[in-house]
Amino acid sequence: MQLKRTLPVVILGMAPAAIVLLILASILYGAKNITAVEVWNAIVAFDPDNVDHQIIISSRLPRVVGSILIGTFLAVSGALMQGMTRNYLASPSIMGVSDGSVFAVTLCMVFLPNASPNLYITSSLIGSALGTAIVFGLAWLIPNGLSPVKLAILGSIIGTFLSGTAHAMSTYFQVSQNISFWYNARLHQMDPELIRLSIPFALIGLTLALLISRYISALSLGEEVAQGLGIRTWVIKALAILATVLLTGVSVALAGKIAFVGLIIPHIARFLSGVDYRWIIPVSGVLGGIFLAACDIVARFINYPFETPVGVVTSLIGVPFFLYLIKTRGGAHRE
Amino acid sequence: MSSVTERRFWTVLAVGILIAVAAAYLSLTNGTFDMSVLDVFKTLLGINPRPEHNLVVFEFRLPRIVLGALVGFALGTAGSIIQGVTRNGLADPGILGINAGAGLAVVLFMFLFQGVITATGWLGVMLMPMFGIAGGLLATTAIYMFAKEKGRLDPQRLILVGIAVASGFGALTMYISLKMNPNDYEMAVVWLAGSLHNANWKFVVTMLPWLLLLPVICLRSHKLDLFQLSEDSQKSVGLHVEREKNIFLLCSIGLVSASVAVSGSIAFIGLIAPHLARQLVGLRHTRIIPVSGLVGMIMVLIGDFIGKTVFAPAELSVGIVVSIIGVPYFVYLLLRTRG
Repeated sequence: MQLKRTLPVVILGMAPAAIVLLILASILYGAKNITAVEVWNAIVAFDPDNVDHQIIISSRLPRVVGSILIGTFLAVSGALMQGMTRNYLASPSIMGVSDGSVFAVTLCMVFLPNASPNLYITSSLIGSALGTAIVFGLAWLIPNGLSPVKLAILGSIIGTFLSGTAHAMSTYFQVSQNISFWYNARLHQMDPELIRLSIPFALIGLTLALLISRYISALSLGEEVAQGLGIRTWVIKALAILATVLLTGVSVALAGKIAFVGLIIPHIARFLSGVDYRWIIPVSGVLGGIFLAACDIVARFINYPFETPVGVVTSLIGVPFFLYLIKTRGGAHRE
Repeated sequence: MSSVTERRFWTVLAVGILIAVAAAYLSLTNGTFDMSVLDVFKTLLGINPRPEHNLVVFEFRLPRIVLGALVGFALGTAGSIIQGVTRNGLADPGILGINAGAGLAVVLFMFLFQGVITATGWLGVMLMPMFGIAGGLLATTAIYMFAKEKGRLDPQRLILVGIAVASGFGALTMYISLKMNPNDYEMAVVWLAGSLHNANWKFVVTMLPWLLLLPVICLRSHKLDLFQLSEDSQKSVGLHVEREKNIFLLCSIGLVSASVAVSGSIAFIGLIAPHLARQLVGLRHTRIIPVSGLVGMIMVLIGDFIGKTVFAPAELSVGIVVSIIGVPYFVYLLLRTRG
């Protein structure tokens, strides 16, 4: 018990150091290794004619910052969903949120080919709201639809449908090459402009998540408990869904679909920090960022010198974990 | 009573064959290269053939149609077996990850033997389904291992594990395909989406030996009816449950993997065809299985026709066409199931 109190504090305290180290590692190692001295020079005395400096500032730095942010967003949305629905399999990629976002971005590319990045982010947000609405709506209609297994099946089936339709449209209107950039979840072309644009949305999402975290703890104990404590559960649920949609929408707009981060990390965070979502949510965020940035470094080297989409790495780590969850938790509710 | 259902069965079969022939006919006469109906017939019958007509009909359109028909039949049959054995109306080789396992093995084959055995040469073409079957078996074993609890298969969990296994194999497949040289990669990508685009006569010949499994299945199909009984009743009628299960599963994995080897992963056929078949001809597997195969055949033929004409000059793979149609049907099935 004592450990569970101190562990989250330790993790959050160590996080900045870990993140700085990861950023450094991510900048130094890649298809072209760069010396630490160069990195220092690029920051204090940027020279536009120096190729290394260009790589650092326009490619490696946005990439690592992007991957940390995306990992954080996905993990926090996963934690919110799992707490709110008391469903151990709830997570952005399983719930059709990401596919909805891909679907809307495809629509946007088809009908507004010269759209600004701003519009992509917006359509990504609308799409993830759409995906969530369809999956939750159907889950509500189907008998026992909110149970972990049913919800996961629904989410992945709706996801197949949305991404299949998106694929059909992109083939029909011949924009599939543009779309494959979003699909393949590659972090190596991170657009700094997109990161800047996504920050306000993400800030709202993260703030919301932290503000409602103590109510999520109550919800995770059960609807009756929460109501007994005088919490208007539908308000909290609506806010949690809003935060999820914002965070997932932004991350898909930045890098496409990245599976399993939102599923695994909250479980690890819960294991490390107990049952209180005031700790689980920030710990998830920190671990998610570190996890994705680390996966991104792995993705650069498992098929060196070629890049592997980071989604492959997260899936290869995520699937065994997912199977383990099914095996240990079974198909039933968490109780 | 039984003669009425009997007559219904034969009517359904006859109408089904007519629709399949009509779909094949549409596919044969329509396409980017315009040919009149008369031209097609003349070419088929060999009356004053023109070389370009011969090329289009015999090298492009006909093998594609024949392959589509065979694959559709195999998938429909396999689907009804898997649903029968697992007593799970939501089971489908694609959803269960068997397609993904076979796909991984086939991509691995393309990768390992690139240059040594050309994938389109005879040896490669005949070996590919063998690899596919190994992959399909691997996937099935993994699914069984994780979905089984206290000796029994939980239907919902089966699907969930299938989804996980499919995405794991999918990630591995993507990883391997990225290591391939660009030519093989192109081929792998087109093929992975479940496409008949590369159909040729060699693929058709590859499929043929695996169709020998069909008589095996048909001869034992009445035993599938017994699977629907409770476990105690199964034992009391003297059914070797585990052995029969394994034979059925092996046969269907064989059919699915051979299909995946020639046309990639086409999901949802194995899910939808058995349901339609059950609605058409009732609950006897001796009737469900052929009808389900026929429905699968029709679905693939029409799906491929839509994919290649609606999106012309681009092509949409039949796998994607079928999954866009298949998902709403799946949701409808979920809405109907209780509990």
